[in-house]
Amino acid sequence: MSAYIDDFPEEAAVIRAAFWSSFVALAIGAFFGLIQTLHRTDIVRIFDSTDYYTILTAHGVFMVITFTIFFLVGVFTWAVTTSLDRGVESLRFTWSWYLLMSLGTVFTAIPILAGFVDSIDMSADVLFTFYAPLQAHPLFYIGLTMFVIGTWLAGADWFRSWWAWKSENPSERIPLPTFMVLTTMIMWYIATLGIAVSILAFLLPWSLGLVETVNPLLTRTLFWYFGHPVVYFWLMPAYLMWYTLLPKFAGGRLFSDPLARVVFVLFLLLSTPVGIHHQYLDPGISEGFKFIAMTNTMFLLLPSLLTAFTVVASIEHGARQRGGEGYFAWLGALPWREPAFTGMALAGLMFAAGGFSGMINAGMNINYLIHNTLWVPGHFHLTVGTAVALTFMAGAYWLMPQVTGKPLASKPIALFQTVLWFVGMTFMSNAMHRAGLLGIPRRTAEPQYEGFEFQAAVGSVAELDAQVAIGGTLLFVSAVLFLWNMLITSFNRPTETLPSNVIPEPLSGSDDSPAVLDNLKLWTLIAIVLVVLAYSLPLASIVDRGGLFGPGGDAFPVRLSPTLVAQLLVDTVQEGLR
Amino acid sequence: MASETSKRELGHDDFDPIGTLALIALYFLLLVFLWLFMYFVEFLGNEPTVVGLI
Amino acid sequence: MNIHTYEKLWLVGAMLLIVGFIATVTYGAVGVGVTMIDDSEETIDPTQLDEDERFSEPRVEQVGENEYDVYVVARQFMFQPDPIEVPAGSDVTFYVTSADVIHSFSVAGTNVNTMVIPGEVSTMTVEFDEPGEYGIVCNEYCGSGHHAMEAMLIVQPEDEFELEEGEN
Ligand code: HEM
Ligand SMILES: [Cu+2]
Ligand SMILES: [Cu+2]
Repeated sequence: MSAYIDDFPEEAAVIRAAFWSSFVALAIGAFFGLIQTLHRTDIVRIFDSTDYYTILTAHGVFMVITFTIFFLVGVFTWAVTTSLDRGVESLRFTWSWYLLMSLGTVFTAIPILAGFVDSIDMSADVLFTFYAPLQAHPLFYIGLTMFVIGTWLAGADWFRSWWAWKSENPSERIPLPTFMVLTTMIMWYIATLGIAVSILAFLLPWSLGLVETVNPLLTRTLFWYFGHPVVYFWLMPAYLMWYTLLPKFAGGRLFSDPLARVVFVLFLLLSTPVGIHHQYLDPGISEGFKFIAMTNTMFLLLPSLLTAFTVVASIEHGARQRGGEGYFAWLGALPWREPAFTGMALAGLMFAAGGFSGMINAGMNINYLIHNTLWVPGHFHLTVGTAVALTFMAGAYWLMPQVTGKPLASKPIALFQTVLWFVGMTFMSNAMHRAGLLGIPRRTAEPQYEGFEFQAAVGSVAELDAQVAIGGTLLFVSAVLFLWNMLITSFNRPTETLPSNVIPEPLSGSDDSPAVLDNLKLWTLIAIVLVVLAYSLPLASIVDRGGLFGPGGDAFPVRLSPTLVAQLLVDTVQEGLR
Repeated sequence: MASETSKRELGHDDFDPIGTLALIALYFLLLVFLWLFMYFVEFLGNEPTVVGLI
Repeated sequence: MNIHTYEKLWLVGAMLLIVGFIATVTYGAVGVGVTMIDDSEETIDPTQLDEDERFSEPRVEQVGENEYDVYVVARQFMFQPDPIEVPAGSDVTFYVTSADVIHSFSVAGTNVNTMVIPGEVSTMTVEFDEPGEYGIVCNEYCGSGHHAMEAMLIVQPEDEFELEEGEN
């Protein structure tokens, strides 16, 4: 019985590094988030409205690429090494994917941040969706590619651990946390194929001036092929913690191992063949394909609805063991003073709300009502911005001491921080949803337009703006408190009295899971077949209509292509020689 | 595997998640109500709407 | 694999929800007649809109007794024509394309909302029963002036409406 760092001191160092990369991104992202909330409500303005989109690109990329995925690789490394009870196969390999991801982040960040400096002819004001023909500096695409390859190698690392473990334990079931990591990574390999093709075959060559044009609908479709499963990639580490850590914090045990496996298999199968639900309002895609994507998406609700039951039942098990009684009174028996527990429980509660607005988003024709309005950021700040982010922060309150060997700096502040996030998000997200219903767009620097005004049926637009601004400010304060706590923890004195790094056995254990659930080859095959079924016709139709490189059109902003630059240089030199 | 705070140990067979069932039933009702409200009041009441060529 | 009775109940409930959602959406499509933006139009070269019979002159055109076609070009950072004027009590079909990057054409406070993708033409038919004024916004980020991309849609009372020649 010992803390993680006692068993795996070297892996703990990698996890610490990954966490800190994640936290730095959170710090930058939260700062930009604050600026956005105050700017788009016209309360405090530090930048020009034309710079708003540089800030928004940075917020999007730092939050949903860097913050989430760096934390993910840390948690997954913890989960695999803990549940297999063996260190990584090669530390050098582990550090190398970490470094590749870090370098990729830096490369991506340079052109984004250069957008603030007019004198540098470099920008990537393309938001995290980088829809062509908006074009970023090549370094942006190169950095993203390196980052993704880094995650591929990380996945390979975990698979290596599992293969090595399997050869020593041939007849045993895959331990549940490792199972979750492996299925998530298979999903990720399938999903990232979409942006790999989009970037390597089209956007990067195009930004380098090697090809003249791209097909905007094709690259957009490839983005969303990746763009939906990526949301599950953010969510799966949170689910992993809800299934493994949360029952333990509650004083109970996971309700059902078999159902947890079923849930992760369903995510592997269904996460990818649904991306077209982000394109319900796109021209060039037939209504039939949209309808198919809609039905697939609705079935993808199933694993999340099952998770709700299993996780709540596991918590209830804890509460009953702690003496809780009644239909609802048991809720009072839960350890609400524990920040790790409370943070995750509140995150789960917000996910229930975010799940609802997601059901609306998924509803094909009702999508006309809310598509690209503020409703959408309202929705995903509940999901990735809270269900994921708050679970990560809560998880860090338990994991950071495990990987540093140092006790948490302040538990009361940690508790306050999780509640503050919940309150801030309630304000911001609720107001965003309501503003979206009035037709107020997302990704927009101004609260109102010149020719007309948005009208609220209940309350006023100014009141909604105020709620967004107050909520955003509370969230920022909460993020600062979290980061401060992490920083002080890192400088704390090591302690001998940390809780031990064990994951309790589920109530209904793995012997009860049908063996076929562990047949990863089978699930991979089915997942690929489903993706081929869902995507081959739409992609063929898009290419057939517009061609691989599109029906023509320029890149924006119009920048000097390398050949043009070369020509200019030659001209200047000739001029000088004359 | 009972932790320090636990008063009793409940195995698989002596635990019925009745509280979970109660909570999730409420969630179910809420979802049905909100869905109907959003679809029929907020969406279909938000005319004009895109309709087919008739 | 043993699944607790309550969990089986919830499984049934979850499936009911899913099927119910799909049924509602299908009802909206078939019963109410809400159609999705689709692939009914050919692709078009966004740099050659000047050559295109429909988009070289963005305009409102009467095509039937109470039927109008509106050809709209979205470009950084405006819509043409602006304002768009149509009579109440008419069926209006919008044809919207982009001359440069991805935009949207979204009539604020209504369900009239489409992405506008260069190379593609979005079409949608809308019934306007009552006179009124609506703001049109672009709700997809399209460059540094995105927040200034707006136009007006004016639904005139039937008896006051007159289609101006060469209206732009
Ligand atoms: C300090 C807390 C935060 C604040 C104040 C904040 C604020 C905002 C605001 C106001 C917007 C909308 C901007 C617009 O559409 O005009 C936004 C967008 C966004 N936020 Fe946050 N946010 C916070 C945390 C997060 C977190 C934790 C995540 C994810 C892990 C996140 C992910 C995003 C994404 C992906 C967008 C959309 C960017 C785009 O449209 O391209 N945010 N945020
Ligand atoms: Cu999606
Ligand atoms: Cu725009």
